Amino acid sequence: MNHNTVLKIENLKQYFPLRTGMFASLFKKEQSYLRAVDDISFSVAEREILGFVGESGCGKSTLSRTILKLLEPTGGKIHFKGTRVDAMSRKQFKPFRRKMQMIFQDPFGSLNPRRTVSEILRQTIKIHHLVEDRDAEDALIRKTLEEVGLNPVEEYWNKYPMLLSGGQLQRVSIGRVLVLQPEFVIADESVSMLDVSVRIGILDLLFKMRDKYGISFIYITHDLVTARYICDRIAIMYLGKILEIGPTETIINHPCHPYTRALIAAVPVPDPTAEIQELPIRGYIPITPDDTMDSCNFAPRCLERKKECRSGKPQMVQVGEGHFAACLLVDGDQCRDNRE
Amino acid sequence: MALIEVENLKLYFMTRRGPAKAVDNIGFSIEKRETLGLIGESGCGKTTTAMSLMKFIKPPGQIVDGSIRFMGKDIVPMTDEQIRQLRGKEISIVRQEAQNALNPVLTIGKQITEMILEHESVTRETALARAKKQLNLVGINDQRINSYPHEFSGGMKQRVMAAIATACNPKFLILDEPTTGLDVVVQRQILMMLRNLKEELNLTAVFISHDLSVVAETCDRVAVMYAGKIMEASDAVSLYKTPLHPYSKALIGAYPSLKGERRQLKSIPGVPPSLIDPPPGCRFAPRCELAQDICIQEEPAVNTIDGRHVACHMVK
Repeated sequence: MNHNTVLKIENLKQYFPLRTGMFASLFKKEQSYLRAVDDISFSVAEREILGFVGESGCGKSTLSRTILKLLEPTGGKIHFKGTRVDAMSRKQFKPFRRKMQMIFQDPFGSLNPRRTVSEILRQTIKIHHLVEDRDAEDALIRKTLEEVGLNPVEEYWNKYPMLLSGGQLQRVSIGRVLVLQPEFVIADESVSMLDVSVRIGILDLLFKMRDKYGISFIYITHDLVTARYICDRIAIMYLGKILEIGPTETIINHPCHPYTRALIAAVPVPDPTAEIQELPIRGYIPITPDDTMDSCNFAPRCLERKKECRSGKPQMVQVGEGHFAACLLVDGDQCRDNRE
Repeated sequence: MALIEVENLKLYFMTRRGPAKAVDNIGFSIEKRETLGLIGESGCGKTTTAMSLMKFIKPPGQIVDGSIRFMGKDIVPMTDEQIRQLRGKEISIVRQEAQNALNPVLTIGKQITEMILEHESVTRETALARAKKQLNLVGINDQRINSYPHEFSGGMKQRVMAAIATACNPKFLILDEPTTGLDVVVQRQILMMLRNLKEELNLTAVFISHDLSVVAETCDRVAVMYAGKIMEASDAVSLYKTPLHPYSKALIGAYPSLKGERRQLKSIPGVPPSLIDPPPGCRFAPRCELAQDICIQEEPAVNTIDGRHVACHMVK
């Protein structure tokens, strides 16, 4: 794999101030925050697909919005191809916007219902002044539609979104991104609303974009199964933090963090003879994470927790080749022991 | 005798462009204490089929032909009043969106007792005691009986739904995508809860899902639906191990798994046909790799091979 870094994130934070009641705000000076993204660092290499997996509310969508500056980060640095973009103004950031794109979850909601497929793409081309005249626009739209598998193009050219299936709509949204020739794309739950029979087609289209145009991806999902299919590396998120990150097959077959193990155990398998085991996790994800907690976020739900888990924050430690975990009970040797 | 027997059921939606054949001439039966899974892509008619078992059919939907026998009695010709006696009491349902199914201004205790008081002549106290028992059964502390739906998370609301659905000890439960939209950890907890509930109450159930792996974990038999027809119905183990129908094969082949080797998967090309003007032969023929002339011209009959039912010209 090529190791040129496309995106580098350092200590990224996104805090949302919590509204407190009148009396609480009178007597408590400190403002409390919901730490949606809490001190996250990672990088994405050229042509890499990095997956972020976690339950709802773990901050994975906030993370993607913060990286693309749809939300201003509370703290931390975002480097895109060596340039620091987090402190840029909207105007300064505009040329980067073309290079950093996003495919949304809901193709029914993210495409204008009153524009035809060709108009949707034409609008994007116009906003970014991609070509000079209308003939060139037509040619570019045609080429893009073919590229995303909407063949024959004539059949889709004048269709409105309501006449297309979910899979076809998602291909239009991918086309809208592809036409800009981005270098980095965030796919936020891009297949979770689609039927199983068309999901693989869309994922294969992402592969094609990577292989043909060298686009790097962050693939955000709650579904470990599709993440395994498409990602080179997977990061497991819980309450705004990365708990474990590593190469896909290592994460799936030799998970190190107790939360990763619980997530994997919870995924149903398409085999009626498989034995169903008790889940190694307790309770529910807390509705508002306690921001004063200076212990492991996962400790309240962890079955393996010990005394020390309540008293210190775990740091990321290396447990294998490119494999890191943040758990006080894990040090490099211990995780290796688990594998044998 | 099977608890539910469906024969030649045709359910059409009368649209201006002609009848949309959402369920077209299907038949199946469900034995006592069995769970039947209905799987297929969106719009294949699986939810419509399940709703017809409770006669939850609103115009322009209409049962055109066929019979649905529940404990030997055909429910198709029943009046609204007769069917109301069955709903909730004998046949009950857990729907996909628990958030929308619960009344936000009533406590959950009120909503559970409402069901009991509607169907049985018991005192309010007895009903309340039973509601508490129901909550414990689905894994919620009975002290929360006076809570409102917004005080619960998505998974907990789904538990409340199950408590309401089983409050009158029904014989048959329809589970319409009960875990769709829930996180995997919560999904597993709900599936475990439903399994315990089934054991405890001797329930027979039909489980609708587009998620093949959830169905694999919960169902004894599975029917694969496509464009209003049942393509294959078989016991779960042989269906997943050796699917016979090309559509079942394609569906299972498109499904990734977390266990075992990472394998290459294939999506199914094309889109399901229009239900108003379906292809004359096999409905899957336009997307099928094995399709021959006969598949395009003639509708396949249902063959029975080793107790498995398959509707395909190419499977003998």
